[in-house]
Amino acid sequence: MAAPGDAARLDDRTSPGGSRGALVVVPAVAWLAIFFLLPLAFILVVSLGSRDELGRIVLDQLSLENYEQAFNPDYLPTLVNSLRYAALTTIASLLIGYPIAYWISMYGGRRKGILLLLVLLPFWTSYLIRTYAWMIILRDNGIVNAGLQAVGLTSEPIILLNTDLAVVLGMTYGFLPFTILPIFISIDRIDRDLVAAGRDLYASGRAAFLHVTLPLSMPGVIAATILTFIPAMGDFVTPDLLGGAQQTTIAKIIQERFLDGRDWPFGSALGFILIAITMVGAFIALRRVRREVVGG
Amino acid sequence: MSRERNPLLSLYAILVYAFLFAPIVVLIIFSFNDSRRTFVWKGFTTEWYARLVTNDDLLGALAVTLQVAAVAVVVATVLGTLLGLGLARLRFRGRGSTETLLLLPMVTPEIVMGLSLLLFFVALFDTRGSFAQLSIAHITFCVSFVAVTVRSRAVDLDAQLEEAARDLGASAWGAFRHVTLPLIAPGIVAGALLALSLSIDDYVVTAFNAGIGNTTLPLYIYSAIKFGVSPEINAISTIIVAITAVAILAAWRVGSRRDETTPETTPEIA
Amino acid sequence: MTHRTAGTPIDPEEALRRYMVEHRISRRALLEQISKVGAAAALAPIIAACGGGGASPSASAAGPSAAPGSPGASTAASTPVPSPESELIVYNWLDYIGPDVIPSFEDKYGVKVQYELFDDIEVAYAKLGEDGNGYDVSFPISVDVPRFREAGTIIELDQSLLPNLVNLGPEWADPGYDPGNAYSVPYVWWTTGIGYDTTKLAEVPTSSKVLWDPRYAGHISMMDDYQETFGLALIQLGYSANTTDTAQLDEALALLREAKPLLRTYSNDTVGTMVGGDVWVGMIWGSDLYQIQQENPNIAYFIPEEGGVRGSDTAAIYSGTKHPIAAHLFLNHLLDAEVSASNTNTIGYMGPNEAAKELIDPVILEDPSVNPTKAILDNLEELLDLPNAVDEEYLSRWQALKAG
Repeated sequence: MAAPGDAARLDDRTSPGGSRGALVVVPAVAWLAIFFLLPLAFILVVSLGSRDELGRIVLDQLSLENYEQAFNPDYLPTLVNSLRYAALTTIASLLIGYPIAYWISMYGGRRKGILLLLVLLPFWTSYLIRTYAWMIILRDNGIVNAGLQAVGLTSEPIILLNTDLAVVLGMTYGFLPFTILPIFISIDRIDRDLVAAGRDLYASGRAAFLHVTLPLSMPGVIAATILTFIPAMGDFVTPDLLGGAQQTTIAKIIQERFLDGRDWPFGSALGFILIAITMVGAFIALRRVRREVVGG
Repeated sequence: MSRERNPLLSLYAILVYAFLFAPIVVLIIFSFNDSRRTFVWKGFTTEWYARLVTNDDLLGALAVTLQVAAVAVVVATVLGTLLGLGLARLRFRGRGSTETLLLLPMVTPEIVMGLSLLLFFVALFDTRGSFAQLSIAHITFCVSFVAVTVRSRAVDLDAQLEEAARDLGASAWGAFRHVTLPLIAPGIVAGALLALSLSIDDYVVTAFNAGIGNTTLPLYIYSAIKFGVSPEINAISTIIVAITAVAILAAWRVGSRRDETTPETTPEIA
Repeated sequence: MTHRTAGTPIDPEEALRRYMVEHRISRRALLEQISKVGAAAALAPIIAACGGGGASPSASAAGPSAAPGSPGASTAASTPVPSPESELIVYNWLDYIGPDVIPSFEDKYGVKVQYELFDDIEVAYAKLGEDGNGYDVSFPISVDVPRFREAGTIIELDQSLLPNLVNLGPEWADPGYDPGNAYSVPYVWWTTGIGYDTTKLAEVPTSSKVLWDPRYAGHISMMDDYQETFGLALIQLGYSANTTDTAQLDEALALLREAKPLLRTYSNDTVGTMVGGDVWVGMIWGSDLYQIQQENPNIAYFIPEEGGVRGSDTAAIYSGTKHPIAAHLFLNHLLDAEVSASNTNTIGYMGPNEAAKELIDPVILEDPSVNPTKAILDNLEELLDLPNAVDEEYLSRWQALKAG
């Protein structure tokens, strides 16, 4: 029997404005405020400035000029590219990653942890080397083309490298662990008895999956979407190496402005716009995922 | 739980693992390539492994990478766990903005984050890159990933479990330690692993915040690869894969010899 | 703003190992190498923003001290050489110097050289910052010298300490980017042209229009460098590669837009793209040919008949130098005929040194990709440092090209 004091404790933790509990987030928030927000504020100021002839930042006359310049329709295709790649990558990662997360959790048994670590293992090698390995695999005289020709499916090399396909492939590959991990821990959390009950109730494994497992794994799917889509928007190395002349991303444009153009103020403005768009994109993606899986 | 095998799914799993390891296999093969530019197979050699042992720069870079990763993973996991947990279970004023704050580092292009930290440190501390600065940078971009992962695990955690523990006389900390923590542990571990992966492979933010003597493996690789010294990098990557694979195998052996009655589901409290 | 890969010596690994072993260049020092932007990337802008202004040139080369020349007089002068400081810190491209250059310098003057390396010039500039950031000597690209001169980043040279300047060929006495070699000395130069796979092209190309040839669609590459690529287009149209005329730039943009659907990639990895086999014809720097041919001997090089671009690297002394005398002596050393020849023979780039020509490997001298005839050379333009407003005209069009 709960004593009256217990009810008070209960309220304490779950009521809005519960001060004791909220302290838990303070360290992280403080850290991010100091080492993330503050530096970001610096860059915000820079984005309002300009540069002098020698490439140094000038903060005498702050203005929104860089932002006006940034809303240049010329950049739109690169923004579309970034969105496209991020979206395709997220979808592909979810489609590929979900079943494998499911398989590891449901059929992995004792070896679950190891199977999961095996998923991560490739990603402890160098990102650049892995990307170069994909170049070796995909190029005209690379492994895929050699294989296709050996089997007789093609007589000429197909252009695989420096295409949209190569970019999405490379990016999906790069983000798979970010997708698989959160989905796995969500699925793993699901009470197996619930699933069994679902099977009994719906008289089919498939229906049980759709009505029990999938909805319950939603938090993981949402996390996976966030962890994939958002960084994918800012990825410029993979599209740069695996993409060709037609595969320029907004992240690459920003990089060029900073380094080749030595124009930090303008680059910063572009950067902030990318941040804003990514946030919006992530928000939309999340709502999509929520709606389609949970129905609202 | 039912153990019947699902052949289709198993086949699928094999394909996925093949996909994951395809570039690694290529990488390993080319670590034996008798050519400085690893683009064309020229013949077999173990020369690169031999050179690796005397390549102090590369080994030094690996050491720095691991040191930074160690610091970053530990701190980011602690901070991120607290944040994820708090966001998942509590309602407090400013929760919405905290959620946004959580997402912001992930949304920020790496070059913006790297440069902003650099500006920050130069302006406030007049330092031009150092181990501390680098570690701080790594922690900063890792925290969000840990928090998101932990949160997703903690979100459907039954708050009543912890209450029940407290009803039974546990202190707040004790309830946390013995009930909540074990339940969200997989999320914490997953978050830590993500943070590790992020840290050891980071280039852009590192390039802007590393000081003299802080060359990490990615920095080394990015520069060296243009000049064809990549076979040694393939070699070191192969060694990393090999060591990790052996460790995993060892963990498996140890695990299967132990008691197998670890419950796979959470304990239900009626 | 070029992102060129340096040429290949006979065996760079050996060369590097030899430096370290013979000169006990600490592993730590060599570890402080490549790819560290960390430093004053922001120092410069922050100083400017806080009103610090450019760093004033610190102790420019002090007058010769009374001490007599240290062991070994300089090759050309008979005036007493002032005694240099005991050490010198040099920052150079990876694989970009002859193996005996540093040892011979150290022996001659008793100066210990700390030799550090970079691979990306923008990163190096950022690290060098406003005054060298601890480095005495480095190798800015000629195009960037005016900018550094104005900012006070490099110092005006005391030419009395540089008697070897007489060794320079006449065309180097008064370069456009640095009249009278007042702030820098030329180091090596190169040309930008087109590399092609002789087995894949139907005929031997002579014009840059080959990059627009639809027969090779999907196998063409251009450089990921807006000055170089626009330069190519402008020259093909008959204009200057440094034009400020926006109408001409628009024409160049239109021309480049026609090429874009045929392109495989925009890349500065000139060696990788040509060796990989995906690209059959692409813009490359002439001196990369040596490295390319090691992997694929079928690749040849030519400079378009319309003309092309040439560039050079210079050596300069940074304003924060603590070893100005040693720095000058080092620059002078680089201008020595034997040293310059050694550099050329090692890295495969031509130097500006007339006297060195007799000592250079004839294979290199006769290689038109490295040492084109005077007729071709005269047809080449040097890329200039563009003022911000003009640079913006190029960059905005370049980004429009890449985006659309």
